[in-house]
Amino acid sequence: MEASRPEMIGFNAVNKFYGSLAALVDVTEQVGRGEVVVVCGPSGSGKSTLIRTVNRLEEIHSGSIAFDGRDVHAAMSSSQLNRLRSRIGFVFQSFNLFPHLSALENVMLSPVRVNGTPRAEAREKALALLDRVGLSAKRDSFPSQLSGGQQQRVAIARALAMEPPAMLFDEPTSALDPEMIGEVLSVMRGLAGDGMTMMCVTHEMAFARDVADRVWFMDEGRIVETAPPDDFFGRPQHPRAQRFLSELRVR
Amino acid sequence: MTMLANIADIVRENWLLLLIGQYPNGPVGGIVATLMLSALGIGLAFPLGVVLALASLSPWRALRWPVFALIYLARGIPLLLIILWVYFLLPVLIGRNVPGFVTMLVTLSIYQAAFISEIVRSGIQALPRGQMDAARALGHSHLSAMRWVVLPQALFNTIPSILSQFVSTIKDTTLGYVINVPELTFAAGQINNRLLTKPFEVYAILAVAYFIVCWTLTWFAHELERRIAASRTNVTAAGGASLSPARAATAEV
Ligand SMILES: Nc1ncnc2c1ncn2[C@@H]1O[C@H](COP(=O)(O)OP(=O)(O)OP(=O)(O)O)[C@@H](O)[C@H]1O
Ligand SMILES: [Mg+2]
Repeated sequence: MEASRPEMIGFNAVNKFYGSLAALVDVTEQVGRGEVVVVCGPSGSGKSTLIRTVNRLEEIHSGSIAFDGRDVHAAMSSSQLNRLRSRIGFVFQSFNLFPHLSALENVMLSPVRVNGTPRAEAREKALALLDRVGLSAKRDSFPSQLSGGQQQRVAIARALAMEPPAMLFDEPTSALDPEMIGEVLSVMRGLAGDGMTMMCVTHEMAFARDVADRVWFMDEGRIVETAPPDDFFGRPQHPRAQRFLSELRVR
Repeated sequence: MTMLANIADIVRENWLLLLIGQYPNGPVGGIVATLMLSALGIGLAFPLGVVLALASLSPWRALRWPVFALIYLARGIPLLLIILWVYFLLPVLIGRNVPGFVTMLVTLSIYQAAFISEIVRSGIQALPRGQMDAARALGHSHLSAMRWVVLPQALFNTIPSILSQFVSTIKDTTLGYVINVPELTFAAGQINNRLLTKPFEVYAILAVAYFIVCWTLTWFAHELERRIAASRTNVTAAGGASLSPARAATAEV
């Protein structure tokens, strides 16, 4: 983290295992407030696991994770955990929109049912968010009637509806056809431009170059290199990162 | 033709008995009792089945095990036997008489709830895990995620199986016969005993009556399914091609 920024997400000596497999090894890093971090690394290196520990969709075995000053993995009641999660935006690779609800209802559901926001107010806000992701016209469409790129943009609006101070993205564009990647990335660029704190697992190098403040490179459960994107892409230090980048360019 | 004439005669002479049994000189019977037993049985079994399904998926063993025990019993023992047991044992255990109708209703509801819970559980487990993940990530509690995200999909997807279970609930009300619940089958038995010579005609009336009741329920269920599907693919100016209802509810991975 750049010294000037206060911390938003902090990993402190985090370890996690799946049976005997070490999925996260001694992860200690910070994401600053307003910082955009891109996490990359080979398949199975622990990127999804890392990002899912931040809102405790995955448990950890040792260490601690702080979000906005709160210890996420401390003992707490389930309602405390729910409240904490509601403040962490999460966007999935497979969108996970609720297929029985329209785009508008997808965005409104959690403000109404989790926060108790009055319907009329939630609706206003949801319409504004759909507008922000460029989907006002699709408000009454159901997920099955939307393209992948549109679904992912609704999913981003749905996460933003809870007004999270930070957003986590787990490969938000890798389930998309190439022609739809741009529309999702441009929404994410807009968010970054508005100062949103973002932790984003992606292999979109152009996005990382333009938007990221730092790139974290993971290998076998460790963060083995962190650097500003120009340094990371121009002069990767770790041999594994060098190999990863050359393979990515060949593809 | 004489057979149809015979049937018409039997119906004309016994319609009140077939309709309400010996009421008001006894408990309500006939087809009214059958419908009451069916409606109350389904009305109790369905919510109980959903609750049992949620319990069977709960992280707490103390909630899961009783449900699995109940399901094993329901699967392994014929309903007829359970009804007889409850009929003979319950009064002894609680020290007072229990009306046959109540015995039948309670036994039938719990028995059917066990099967409904298995249908609902499989419907829940068939949904992609991402649905629960997404709801939890947004801050929903487990129950809130079930209520607003998981069950609306799981119940819709399992309408056909749940419907079969409802229909079999109606058919199982005939077993009330063995503990003298004066429902439709019981009334038909009375008529048959009186006439002695026309069993085929009497039981043909019975078969047609059950067929009509079950068919009506099936029709309502299909109508319900159609309406929900329509409301979930609400094609607007913005909408693209709409998928079939089942796809619409499960399209996502
Ligand atoms: N639920 C699980 N049970 C057992 N092992 C798991 C589980 N989830 C992940 N793993 C293992 O943990 C390691 C890290 O997985 P993770 O999904 O975090 O990798 P990733 O970097 O996100 O990979 P990808 O780029 O393919 O998404 C992998 O070896 C994976 O096989
Ligand atoms: Mg992953």
